[in-house]
Amino acid sequence: MARQTTGKRKRTLSQQQAAWALLAPFLATYCAFLVYPFFKGVWISLHDWNLLAVAMNPAAAKWVGLHNYVHMLWGRNITWGPLSHPLVQLLALAVLAGAFGLHRAGRLSGRSAIPIAIAALLIFLLLGFTPGEGGRWFDRRFWPTVGNTVLFVTLAAPGTTIAALLLAAALNRETRMMAVFRTLFFLSQVLSVTVVTLIWQIMFSPTQGLIDNVIRVFGGSPVSWLTDPHFAMLAIVVTTIWWSLGIAMILFLAGIQDINREIYEAAALDNARGWKSFWFITLPNLKRTITLVVVLQIILHFQVFGQSHLMTQGGPDDRTQVLVRYIYQSAFRDSEIGRASAMAVFLFAIMSVFAVIQFLIGREKSE
Amino acid sequence: MTSKRSYYWLCIALAIPAFIWLVPTLWMVSLSFQPNEVLARTTASTWLGMIPIPFTWDNYAKLFSFGDTPRWFFNSIVVAGGMTLAVLAVSTTAGYALARLEFRFKTAITIFILLGLMVPEQAIFIPLYTMLAKFGWHNSYGALILPRVAVPIGVFLMMQFFKAAPKDIEDAARIDGVGPFQIFWFVMLPLARPAMMTLAILTFLYAWNDYLWPLVSASHKEMFTITLGLASLQSNFAQSEGLGRVMASGVIASLPVVVLFLIFQRYVVQAMTVGGSKG
Repeated sequence: MARQTTGKRKRTLSQQQAAWALLAPFLATYCAFLVYPFFKGVWISLHDWNLLAVAMNPAAAKWVGLHNYVHMLWGRNITWGPLSHPLVQLLALAVLAGAFGLHRAGRLSGRSAIPIAIAALLIFLLLGFTPGEGGRWFDRRFWPTVGNTVLFVTLAAPGTTIAALLLAAALNRETRMMAVFRTLFFLSQVLSVTVVTLIWQIMFSPTQGLIDNVIRVFGGSPVSWLTDPHFAMLAIVVTTIWWSLGIAMILFLAGIQDINREIYEAAALDNARGWKSFWFITLPNLKRTITLVVVLQIILHFQVFGQSHLMTQGGPDDRTQVLVRYIYQSAFRDSEIGRASAMAVFLFAIMSVFAVIQFLIGREKSE
Repeated sequence: MTSKRSYYWLCIALAIPAFIWLVPTLWMVSLSFQPNEVLARTTASTWLGMIPIPFTWDNYAKLFSFGDTPRWFFNSIVVAGGMTLAVLAVSTTAGYALARLEFRFKTAITIFILLGLMVPEQAIFIPLYTMLAKFGWHNSYGALILPRVAVPIGVFLMMQFFKAAPKDIEDAARIDGVGPFQIFWFVMLPLARPAMMTLAILTFLYAWNDYLWPLVSASHKEMFTITLGLASLQSNFAQSEGLGRVMASGVIASLPVVVLFLIFQRYVVQAMTVGGSKG
């Protein structure tokens, strides 16, 4: 009996040691290259920290507390008025009312209605802040950059999601032809951002581009897509949808395959095929997957950098300047890594909200 | 009967968007086979340039006879290969420990690692830069590889796999007095081959295509990866390199990942569904 206990204790002990030995390589790199840099980033953001000056003289980093954050988010004589961005704010109010109405009508559960309502209210409130008379933002470029990033996400995420959903529904058959189509649509996903932007930069070129060549064949006059302020962001969105449709499509295919076949068979007896079965069976059963894909796209597209950096250099007139590119520029062109780090923390804060949402949706299924 | 006919219609209806989807890539390939002198004049020579007539191998020959492309290609292989091996090594061991072994603070460590999923690389590239600059590590393979090894998603994937793996063999081995290292090495690793395959391909694709970190870390031309090198040609493609040559380097840069994807499609798709819904 006694021997058995010691034997057991010895085994658990060695299991302890083995576990730590197996974990050590990962934990070491993880702490060194992810955890430490993360806190270092927060630390840097609390300083007036010039990259070049600090490289010469480590004492040049000056503690400024939250100054970088104030500089980033605030301005002089900022006031609040209800309709400084009338279109977006009215839209936010409409969404707020819609969420409330749908919830009252029992079409929307409180769990989805509350976050939507809060988001709409936040948009309405935050957009109301504007510089009053003689006032201005401390950083004129920050909020427009955030606005561009949000615009990019609001165009690219639904675009990708809708296209991917329709494709997945159409491709949901186990035939060889469909497998070939799936591969085709997924293929662009494995290309690097530089190849993707290389292709599309030339596709969109007013003199050499395929799109303008086609327009010329039909007798139209070419458009310089990437330097036209109306089209630049749209061109980047098209490129992004082309690039990132694959993952969304695969996720939808997986989601559709999880739907019980019998429901379709029962519906077919009631004459629900094609569009009808898509609308009344596929869509309602895919709610969770749709939310997940949208959240994933938001997370992915909020980090957009390469498309804007390589295709338009943020232009024309900063129309396609996005958050990561602004961080990159502030850090490596202007050497202001204190300010850049504050923006990086801002990015992290937004991303983590969506990461938590994603985690909650992911957990719902396993329950 | 009708369903078969409607299937054919569906195929035809899908062929059009599928073709449109493929056009940009085909166009790149086609341009890469056309002489630069022609491209300087027009990119629409035969059928809007979709057919490479006049045809030439010149762009590819030049790409590999001089210039930095071979070097960049080699760098990419070293970086993506090295990163894949390193990620596999640390993720399988850590994933196994978290899924199958009992130890103190296990839950805390798991949460600590999963929290890392929330930190995007775009949020930490500045401190990473200053940190590696302090050691003078930039423009080395180490700097290009190391910061990418600590990806929580790899541990997460392996953890999920090991949790689902059958317990009996392991228990039998344990009763026979086999130590945890041997169990891991001889019993679990062979079982984990498909999951490791998935992780390896995912990592390789990611490493090969990564742009932001090499852009920050590598400033010397000879330490560029092919992705970064291509971007450096891109900005002034018309003047210096010739459109055909840049397109050829684009084809070369994508060839390994495209081939890898076509061979291992099943694993890539698996990785997307697991990583997408959970990570």
